[in-house]
Amino acid sequence: MTTEDMREELSGGIDTAQDLHKRPKRSAGAELVIPVVGTLFALYYFSTIWDSPWTAQVSAFFIGCVLILTSAIVTIKIIGALRRGETTLNFERLVEPRSYLPKRLGLFALTIGYVIVIQFAGFTLTTFAFLFCAMALLNDRKNLRFIVILSLIMAISGWALFIYAFEVHFPAGPFELLMKKVL
Amino acid sequence: MSDDYLLELNRRRFLMGTVATIAAGILGSQRIADAYAADFPSRNIKIYVPTAQGGGADRNMRLVTDLWKDVLKVNFEPSFNPGAAGRVAYEQYMSKGADDGHDMLFGNMGPEVLNWVLKKPTFPLSAYEYFFRVDEDPSVIYVSKRSKLQTIDDIVAEGKKRTVNFATSRIAHPATIGVMALGKATGAKFNPIPMGGGRNTRNAVATGELDFGALPAGGMVVQRKNFNMLLLFADKNVLGDKINNAPTVNAKFGTKLPPLVSARAFAIKSSVRQKYPDRMKVLEDTLRKVVATEAYKKAVVKAKAPLELISPGGPAECAEYAKNIAAIGEEYRDFLVGADAAAKKKKKKKS
Amino acid sequence: MEFNPSIFIELFAETIQYWWVIIPAIFLGLIVGAIPGFSAANTIIMLLPLAIVLPVEIGFVFMIALYCSSRMGAGIPAILVNIPGTAGAAATPLDGYPMAQQGRGQQALAISFTSSVLGGLITTVLALVAMPWLAEVAFYLHSVEMIVVMLFGISLIATIAARDTLKGLVAGFFGLMIGCIGADYVYETPRGTMGFLELYDGVPLIPALIGLFAISEAMIVIDRDSILTKRGKEAVVTGGWGPTIEGVMETLKRWWHVVWTSIIGLFIGVIPGAGAAIASFVAYQQSKTYSKTPELYGTGHIEGLIAPESSNNGVTSGTLVPLIILGIPGGATAAIMLVVLQYHNVTMGTELFLNNPKLAYLPFTAMAVTYFLMIFTIPPLARYMSHVTVVRTVYMAPIVIAFTLVGAFVSRDFVFDMYLALIFGVIGYVARKTGYHVAAILIGVILGPLLETYFIRAMKMSQGDITVLFSSMLGNILWVGLLINLAVPIWFEYRRDRKKKKAA
Repeated sequence: MTTEDMREELSGGIDTAQDLHKRPKRSAGAELVIPVVGTLFALYYFSTIWDSPWTAQVSAFFIGCVLILTSAIVTIKIIGALRRGETTLNFERLVEPRSYLPKRLGLFALTIGYVIVIQFAGFTLTTFAFLFCAMALLNDRKNLRFIVILSLIMAISGWALFIYAFEVHFPAGPFELLMKKVL
Repeated sequence: MSDDYLLELNRRRFLMGTVATIAAGILGSQRIADAYAADFPSRNIKIYVPTAQGGGADRNMRLVTDLWKDVLKVNFEPSFNPGAAGRVAYEQYMSKGADDGHDMLFGNMGPEVLNWVLKKPTFPLSAYEYFFRVDEDPSVIYVSKRSKLQTIDDIVAEGKKRTVNFATSRIAHPATIGVMALGKATGAKFNPIPMGGGRNTRNAVATGELDFGALPAGGMVVQRKNFNMLLLFADKNVLGDKINNAPTVNAKFGTKLPPLVSARAFAIKSSVRQKYPDRMKVLEDTLRKVVATEAYKKAVVKAKAPLELISPGGPAECAEYAKNIAAIGEEYRDFLVGADAAAKKKKKKKS
Repeated sequence: MEFNPSIFIELFAETIQYWWVIIPAIFLGLIVGAIPGFSAANTIIMLLPLAIVLPVEIGFVFMIALYCSSRMGAGIPAILVNIPGTAGAAATPLDGYPMAQQGRGQQALAISFTSSVLGGLITTVLALVAMPWLAEVAFYLHSVEMIVVMLFGISLIATIAARDTLKGLVAGFFGLMIGCIGADYVYETPRGTMGFLELYDGVPLIPALIGLFAISEAMIVIDRDSILTKRGKEAVVTGGWGPTIEGVMETLKRWWHVVWTSIIGLFIGVIPGAGAAIASFVAYQQSKTYSKTPELYGTGHIEGLIAPESSNNGVTSGTLVPLIILGIPGGATAAIMLVVLQYHNVTMGTELFLNNPKLAYLPFTAMAVTYFLMIFTIPPLARYMSHVTVVRTVYMAPIVIAFTLVGAFVSRDFVFDMYLALIFGVIGYVARKTGYHVAAILIGVILGPLLETYFIRAMKMSQGDITVLFSSMLGNILWVGLLINLAVPIWFEYRRDRKKKKAA
């Protein structure tokens, strides 16, 4: 297998960069996200150190300027490609494959929900609920019995190992408090 | 923490919780203690700590609370909130802590009051008070045993020839102000290099990168094999030969500097005193009792902390200390926030 | 402080009798190392009361064994699911994860274990023999020299991004910019914190690590059935010892690679405050620079996995040198060990070799014994652990998300850090999908603050005089080394091109 073949194979992993490089450019909007966000952040950052002593400024100014410069070059290159018609200004790459978009958004929403709910429902209950919902969503609501058991095992063993055995500070909720009282 | 308790707790952890009975025993005894405390405190006391678990403040706090819990008949739940030089814990306590006397904070008055000089917190400074000081830890100048500069006179003489760099934990620290004040008084030039924490501050001097350092003396006592202590920023040297009988700055140079000490203390919301003066009295009285016991002194010795630095003080002493350190902070304000550096730069540009 | 082999051998025999402490510690370390958010330092703090009540020798042996194996544990999730357990393993997935994807997870684990053990053993013995000289390293590598060492690590950004340099640089400098968040190092002016007190001390590494690697990876892999590629699925062999033995053999064949990358780790470990992350980045970068096949790095190349794994275990022995000879702890774990030893009235330093030579050599013998015992206990596990790669992503992704997010919370007890991990997850997702290297971002986030710290410190010491950067002999030698290092790949490329042309 040649190197190129290997790179072809490894999509999604740490090698995405190389992978995508090989595909035709057709998603300029998506490629601009990082440079634009980076530039905006650098500008915001500069605003916070404008009146600071030099120790706060030197390295940040240097890094920020290089970031803005390299981002600008990327942008100019993409604009050039746009003009030549090699690419279009869309965000396709971020959402492909389209068929998985609902699942991906659903999983992300569940993840945000996890962080919010865990603060008052505690680790064990929230983890169980999250695992169940996420797995059911991703698996098209098939194999539900297995998913319930797996979620339950993961949540309970997480509690037993971390909260009970190691006494790690996890977000506590009704279940954790109850178990503390019972034991 | 008694040894028995330690042993029990450890074994349980070591076996990763398989010995559930011991756990039940420990937790069970808590409940009994709860039942005995009828009025105040009626629940466990939560203490916000502005430094990490396992640090110096943690140790000092435990030495007190391990005995205090027997007197108050409740347990203590430390909550470690390190970050932003202590700001995080203060902000957390002031926004989330209850003001019924069950929530408090244990911090280091020196550097933490100096924080407010740099940047005010989101709450008014009058909203909390330090109500019990545990110890006073004076700042000390030290050198490595390998260093060329071996006396304080060497350092001052060198500082008159060139700007001498010195290691310090952070700029806004009583020790830093002490060295800068020494420079002002003797005409020597010193340049503070903040190393971020005591460990780095010692290392920088030990490896010879910096000529000398300034830190609270308490932590230097166990380090005296590697370092020589040269000058103390206090009214008198209570540690004696534990820090090489270092002279005090005022005795040595005839200055009139106030003591530049770190002081660990319990703090509480001011509203507690207004709402429950009786509870404040319980807290203060029991603390005073605990710190005076032989058991406390024994625990301090066992933890390798110098006994000489124990210095109990009530709200009045704490307020006095906080006022002094804030005043010094204000005096050195430009230096602390780097305004003098900025001004110098501007001057350079103009010329 | 002369090296006396008879003491060492006697001690080795004596220390091996503590197998009953070491083996549980090895497994405990493996677990805590593998879970992002946990670390050897945290675990020793949690077990502090235990470490104190045990007799000093046993406590010390326990801590050392835990420390060594946690380093190794961090590589496991890095290889299998692309999530480094700690920052020290951040360079491990570069080649380890592609191997797992190709169905070579078991080999990869065996390689990681073998190079960790060998790297650890070699550097332990070296450290022991060269201790008096190594201890001096800390006296010469000051801020100025450390700036150059950091740049060695940061130059990895350019190496990783070889295929699309511009995007690599954008990603790297974006990471460096994020690394600049936090209070100014000298005057504590909050910078770029968006008003969050939680960011005053800089961007916490664990949530960044979890977001960039774990969360974004979990969001990405769900469109595939398992993390394996098509070919990987065909190639994957589950069960059987074959791949493990193959991995061990492949590593042994490259013994020289293990030796020199672990020595990089040893030297960097000796410098107080440098740590495993920088060592593994530098080792990976060096390995690639001087490789005959640099184009294979990033595709599941064996050398690319050996380099970070043997070097970060080299750090482990390195950090102990200044601790034992000077009483200077190089890192957080060493500092906690020092506290425990102080509690037992043991003062580290040269006198210890006179007063209690056995105790002075104990950490190294304990380390040697730990690595020795790992040979028998850990590689056999590769076979079973590698099954993780065939778990369906529909189950794996949610589990990874839930457990790593809680890991983000644990390191500081801040709910804020979970949100932060989510934000980094989004950044990582966008970066991966659009061809910006997440590893380059992470290098920036990890090394940026370190570089700034040393740089500002040097500038403050010289009162703003930039020439201080070239003021030391050793520093200048390092600068030249850095330039050579940057030039070599270009020169190699040029030579290869010419050869190709000639051949054509």
